[in-house]
Amino acid sequence: MVNNNTIEEEKITSVQSPEVKVQVRGLTKSFGDLLVLDDVSFDVRKGEFLCIVGPTGCGKTTFLNSLTKLYTIDEGEMLVDGEPMDLKKHDIAYIFQEYSTMSWLRVDENVSFGLRIKGYPEEVIKERVDKVLKMIGLDKYRHYYPKKLSASMLQRVVIARAFAVEPELLLMDEPYGQLDLQLKYKLEDELLRLWEKTGTTVIFITHNIEEAVYLSDRILVLTNKPAKIKEELINDLPRPRDIADPKFVELRNRVTELIKWW
Amino acid sequence: MKRVFTKEKVQMALWGIIGLMSILLIWQISVMVTSLGRIMPEPIEVVKSFLISSIKPVGRYTLLQHMLFSLLRVFVGFSLSGVSGIILGIAMGRSKTINSIASPIFNMVRPIPGVAWIPLAILWFGIGETTKYFIIFMGGFAQVVVNTMSGARKVDKTLVGAARMLGANKRQEFFRIVIPSSVPYIFAGLQISLSTSWMAVLAAEMVSSYKGSGWIIITGMNNGNTVQILVGMISIGVVGLGLANLMRIIERRLCSWRIQGQ
Repeated sequence: MVNNNTIEEEKITSVQSPEVKVQVRGLTKSFGDLLVLDDVSFDVRKGEFLCIVGPTGCGKTTFLNSLTKLYTIDEGEMLVDGEPMDLKKHDIAYIFQEYSTMSWLRVDENVSFGLRIKGYPEEVIKERVDKVLKMIGLDKYRHYYPKKLSASMLQRVVIARAFAVEPELLLMDEPYGQLDLQLKYKLEDELLRLWEKTGTTVIFITHNIEEAVYLSDRILVLTNKPAKIKEELINDLPRPRDIADPKFVELRNRVTELIKWW
Repeated sequence: MKRVFTKEKVQMALWGIIGLMSILLIWQISVMVTSLGRIMPEPIEVVKSFLISSIKPVGRYTLLQHMLFSLLRVFVGFSLSGVSGIILGIAMGRSKTINSIASPIFNMVRPIPGVAWIPLAILWFGIGETTKYFIIFMGGFAQVVVNTMSGARKVDKTLVGAARMLGANKRQEFFRIVIPSSVPYIFAGLQISLSTSWMAVLAAEMVSSYKGSGWIIITGMNNGNTVQILVGMISIGVVGLGLANLMRIIERRLCSWRIQGQ
């Protein structure tokens, strides 16, 4: 299974972009006796938009948190550009399922948070914040505190904060799970636009199959607990995608079947 | 919009004045026509005495000076309990080891009111200023610790994770996430602590002192001077109200993000 994936992957990478950005090797994690992740391995190409889907409660969040060492993992490693991932060295941004704006900071201060942590000079901070706020349409609200903002605006602040550090890798854990459909579509398109513009590598976790088919270059389907990679699907539908397109529906149904029958 | 609001405010203030006046009126009438006059002075006399003693000394000092002496004592004791309470509270809230060490002792001492320390304090420190500082300290300390601790514990893990993902080290995590998100709790603790400090200083002054608002009351009692007792009580009320308002103003400044969005 794992071997198959690797072989298939090598084929793809050789065709499109040879550069592998992230390598995940043998990731294993258990909470006490409960094995949540079982020897998960895969690669992500530079600039790729990878979606990971799986049944609810299969350990998707655990998976991402293990990747980023928010949880200590039992076995395995994650390499970025061939080196073990280091949050202080690599520019990685993580967008959580929960809204993670700092309520005591104004919108622009929230967006500059990562840049200040990393000690960028003041001119760079100002320039980047201005750029990102304009890109995401929050310029008018830069002096607002989060308390005044709606749920979708809060999530956009978080996305702006992530893009402000110009991340080489962007990790997203069901970022739009709590939004209503229309806003979700809007923010998904906005995300694609930012991704295309910046060329960042994205790992996006969701339980929403349509979302995965709409966004991704490639989809990894996880099994139920303990999570393993069940199947890898290439998604080369042309963008912008139409959710009513028969090919779109076909791919969506395939993913649905995979999640349903384990 | 704004005008309506201020109009309403004026109206409310008017009602407040009417309430106050009626109480004074009822007091005046009952002292004049009932036997209450034997144990209570007329309100007019109290107000008159209050104004006169602001210029003419009661004992060695004027009323204002007495109030200032009490305030100074509160300032010293409260600053000590505030600073050390915040430090201990954060330490207990963030470190399990420190919490395990400190909490049994702390929980035993906490229910003992500040005034219960008066006898020991007098034996230890004599009847000088140190005793007063100590009693105020013991009166306000616990409140600051309890509130700060709960604030430091309730720090949103997602925010800590977000900061860590953006490359924050332990120090940045502490000063940029833990401290700011605990500020409202710390402030609530300081507010309660200040009012208990004000109570503690009066108790301390009633037991042993030759100045301060508490001294005015106790001397009034010893001389059978109800006017002086009431003057002392009113001065305590005025200062207490002033302190509470001061804290509210500072809070509005410091935690404006919680109160208003912009």
